[in-house]
This record gives sequence, C-alpha cells and structure tokens, in this order.
Amino acid sequence: MKTLILGIGNSILGDDGIGVRAAQELAAKISDRNVTVCDVCVDGLNLLEIITGYDRMIVIDSIVTENGEVGEIYRLRPEQIYPPSGFSVSPHHFNLATTLEIGRRLFPGEIPEEVTVFAVDTEEATEVTEEMTEKVRLALPEVVRLVLEEVSAPLAKR
Amino acid sequence: MSKKIVIEPVTRIEGHGKVTIILNEKGNVDRARLHVTQVRGFEKFCEGRLFWEMPVITPRICGICPVSHHLAAAKAGDAILGIKLTPTAERLRRLLHMAQLVQSHALHFFHLASPDLLFGFDADPAKRNVMGLISEVPEIAKKGVKLRGFGQRIIEMLGDKKVHPNAAIPGGMNRALQPEQRQEIMEGIDGVIDDCQFAIDLFRDYCTKNPELMTSFADFKSAYLGLIDDKGNVEYYDGKLRLKDRDGITEEDGLDPADYLSIIEEKVEDWSYLKFPYYKKMGYPGGMYRVGPLGRLNVADGMSTPLADKELQSFKKLSGNGVVQGSLYYHYARLIEMLNAAEEIKSLVEDELICAKDIWTGSSQINEQGIGVIEAPRGTLFHHYWVDRGGKMRRANLIVATGNNNLAMNRAVYDVAREFIHDGNVTEGMLNRVEVAIRCYDPCLSCSSHALGHMPLEITIHEPDMRVRQVLRS
Repeated sequence: MKTLILGIGNSILGDDGIGVRAAQELAAKISDRNVTVCDVCVDGLNLLEIITGYDRMIVIDSIVTENGEVGEIYRLRPEQIYPPSGFSVSPHHFNLATTLEIGRRLFPGEIPEEVTVFAVDTEEATEVTEEMTEKVRLALPEVVRLVLEEVSAPLAKR
Repeated sequence: MSKKIVIEPVTRIEGHGKVTIILNEKGNVDRARLHVTQVRGFEKFCEGRLFWEMPVITPRICGICPVSHHLAAAKAGDAILGIKLTPTAERLRRLLHMAQLVQSHALHFFHLASPDLLFGFDADPAKRNVMGLISEVPEIAKKGVKLRGFGQRIIEMLGDKKVHPNAAIPGGMNRALQPEQRQEIMEGIDGVIDDCQFAIDLFRDYCTKNPELMTSFADFKSAYLGLIDDKGNVEYYDGKLRLKDRDGITEEDGLDPADYLSIIEEKVEDWSYLKFPYYKKMGYPGGMYRVGPLGRLNVADGMSTPLADKELQSFKKLSGNGVVQGSLYYHYARLIEMLNAAEEIKSLVEDELICAKDIWTGSSQINEQGIGVIEAPRGTLFHHYWVDRGGKMRRANLIVATGNNNLAMNRAVYDVAREFIHDGNVTEGMLNRVEVAIRCYDPCLSCSSHALGHMPLEITIHEPDMRVRQVLRS
C-alpha cells in the first residue's frame, strides 16, 4: 500500500501555508518507505502527475468556512468540500475532487482510491506574509498528530 | 484518542472573479465590470529580499504559470547584474519557456476551451466540460494530457520540479541539460508537433462550421501589443515591443521593453483591484490594448518556424488588414503558438550544444534597477525591480500578462451581456456566454491581482440605483 501525504498551500500567503508546513514536519517524522511526503504550491491539473501511482492519499490544506472556528481541523473526503465540476473559466477552477475524477477517468487504476483531507480552518488569505496567525500556528502540532495517526491506523478502523 | 470531526457541508468562500452588470432605466446594459479582489502586500513582502530570491518568490503568485514569473524575475536579475547570457544559458532559458508555452496552451485549449467548441455554448454544463470531453472524445482529452505532460517533463528536467522549478537564476541557469534528457525530448517531439497540428485542424474545422459566430461573438477593435524579433516574427523570450492601433497601423515599433512606461500607464478604478493598463497616446479607455496569442500574432509579420508560419499566414488572411479582432480567434492564435513552441523545442534540442556546460555569467556589478520582460502564455509580462547597493529589493512593480487585457475583458463581457439582456430580461445562455468570452482570454486572475484561489463566476445584475436585481452563479 503506497501512501502519499500531500501538504498543499502557499507559504507566502500566511495561513494558507499550513498544509506545506505540516508536510515539512511530517517528512521529518516519517521513515516508512511506503509513505511519501510532499509539499506543493499548486492545484488543479498540476496535481495529476504528482498523485499518480499511489493507493492512498492524505491531503493537508487550509479551508475557509462560513461558520467554523479558525484553527479547527476537519477530516473530510474531497467530495464533501466541493462536487467534481469540471466546469471552469480558468485553470484555477479544477479543484481537488475534479482533478481526482479526471485522473480516474484518464488513468484508471493509477489514482489513489482512498483520499482523506485534513483541512485547517483559516480566514481568507489576503496578506502576503510568511507568518501564520496564532490560532493556525497552534493547530499545526495537532494536525501533524492527526495525520500520523491516520497513516498508521489499521485498515479495519478506516 | 483521535478527534474525528466531520463537518458537512463546508463552504469554501472564494470571491476572486465576479461580474457586475448595471442596467439603465430601459433595462438594457449600461455597464459591465469584471472584478478581481486583491491580495495585499506582495511588493511590501519583497522589500528587503535579495533580488536572487525573486525567481523563487514570484512564481508563488500563481500555480498555473509560475515559469513565466520565474523567467521574468531571472531576466530582471540579469539586468541588475548587467550581464549577457551565455549562448547555452539562453538556449536553456528558451527551452524552458517553450516547454511551458506548450503545456499552458495545451491545458487551456484541451481542458477549458474545447468543451465550449465541441459541444456548443448552450450545451448542458454537466456535459460541456472536461468530463464530457473525456466521455465523448477521450482521444482529444488524452492528447491534451500528453502535450501537457511533455511540457511538464522538460520543465522538470531543467528545474527538478514540474511546477515551481528551480532552473533560472540571475546570470543564467543552475544546471545543464544531460545528453539522455536531450535524447528523451528528441524522441517525443515529432509526436507532439503532430498533435499540435491536429489541434489546429480541429479548430479550423470549427471556424469553417461557424463563420458568423467567429466574427460576431465579442468582436471589437482594439490595439495590440507584443514582442517581436528583428525579422518581425513573434518572439517570446526577448525582442522588442511593437504596438498596432485598432486599425492595424503600427504606432510603436522596436521599443526596448525596458521602456514600457514610456507608452503604458495604469489606471486605477475604484471597483476593481486589478489596474487598467492603457496605451498612453490614445488615452483612457480608448487606449485599450490586447496581449497574449491574439496580440502577438496581430503585431507580428511571421512566425519563426515553418509550419507555424504557414498557419499564421492563413490566419492573417481572415482579415483585410491582417489584424484579426474577434475574441474567439484567441483560441486559434493560441494553437498556432503551441505549434510554434513545439517546433522551437525541436530546433533547440537538435543542436547538441544544448548540453554544453557554460551556463552562467558572473558579475560584481549591481545596477539600481532591472527590468525583465517576457511573453508569457497569456501575454506580455513585466517585472521591474529596484535594489539597493547590496542587492536588496527596495521596490517591485509587476504588470502581469492578464492585467494588460483588463480593459478588453471588460469590453468582451459588456458586448456579450448587451446582446443577451434586453428590457430587464436575461436571455437563457447569458451566463454561459459571458464565461465563454472570459475564457477566450485565458485569464490568470491569480497573477493579475496577486490573488490565489478558485473562481466560480458570479454575475450580479443591478438596477440603475445599484439595487440587486438578479444573481447568477456558475
């Protein structure tokens, strides 16, 4: 079982970098050769080449919600966040669920079947900075712990 | 104990692309605006950084066309150092640039534009998208993926990663191309050129079947701007600026791109964070100009490679004065460029000197400013840096490709909206067509406003007193 842990985010957009930072910490803690840890600052179809060849994928990203609390961590499936749409005005429209759907149709068998997203609640990132806000910074060790637990949980529990 | 919190549904709030339509008393379109929200502080963030870092920082503006920023930043760095690239470094930079042109244009045509063209603007949105493409014409979808993959692979060879590569540095490149990498490119390139030709034939077929649409959809005159080489061919990496006015007359020619501020000014409107560049001599908003594939092909006399040049000459015949104005022609122009870029890749790797090791030029000079200009897939991109004597950034100004098209995109939206809204009634299909119009420009709104995020299109229709009459969402 090959697992990919993917931290997605832009490390110069403040809290949006949480996924990247979580992945960097996880890379230092994981030595299992069947687990690859990667951080990326891309979305959409650019993810396709990165995610092929794995059975399972754990994504860490930031998320902006209407009613949630900044710093909360959600464990989600991609379809819960947005439906696969395939419909867009710009390449930025290809969200994770869409990319997975496209990948499964074009490269059957090569895209992870099991995808879990750990999303950290943040405000909309509108400031260019390498610093995260306090609540999000405090969520970092917890999201790292949750991912480690997820990676090592036996199949039955999932 | 692990904490499992499942929230449903969660809503991702994004608001970076929004259209506002304001009606007049008769219920017809008075004004239409494309709004872009902004991320603040990019220039501030750069202050104090070393100019060496800019090729790594600026690509993070965008995950779609980072290589353009990477190259423009390196070019600005070259200018600060006051160096001239070695021939090998220039070849490698061009190879990187052509690879990203192929992948960017392929992505846009196959995954964004082609569903509109293959299924028709009014086809069910559930089908008129890349999924529909994959179901109905999987071989076309696969060609897109293959072309993109080819471009990405070259980017990875040169810069370690397929996106946000580390390849170009001020002074040159940080690694040479290996012989086995060159071999790999040579093995795949002919198939790529064939696929580019296939795409052009597909589009030409579309033009033949829809002649009226091509010249009536968001068809308006504008000036055009692009870089050309000393033979008058489209030039993406270096070259001089040429600007033609709305009637195809050359107004500016042979201009050093570093002098762009002598002909271009940016206006700020209070309803959009994206500024409005315009050609100073023609004032605002008359000085609207277009960049990108249509801009480049319209200002140039030819293309640097044989197959693409043949296509360009056919393209120019579409109009009496060789300047083709309909927004849908952006797609055609984009494909001709994709072919040109593929042929250029072949020509670059055929020369075994592409593997030479002289890839960097040093300097002990630090000039006060450096300007790097490049033709990104979406249009002319300007990076202008000011540094102190230690090479630390004092200021940065970026005019991003899509930003140049701001006035034109707004005009396209206005034209389309006007056709579909009468007496306060919005005709079915307006939302689709506004999207189709915006898609022609292949906008990178992230870059233009230094913002990040997804862009569901929201169109708000207002009464003359600004009360909201209707909201449409894609």
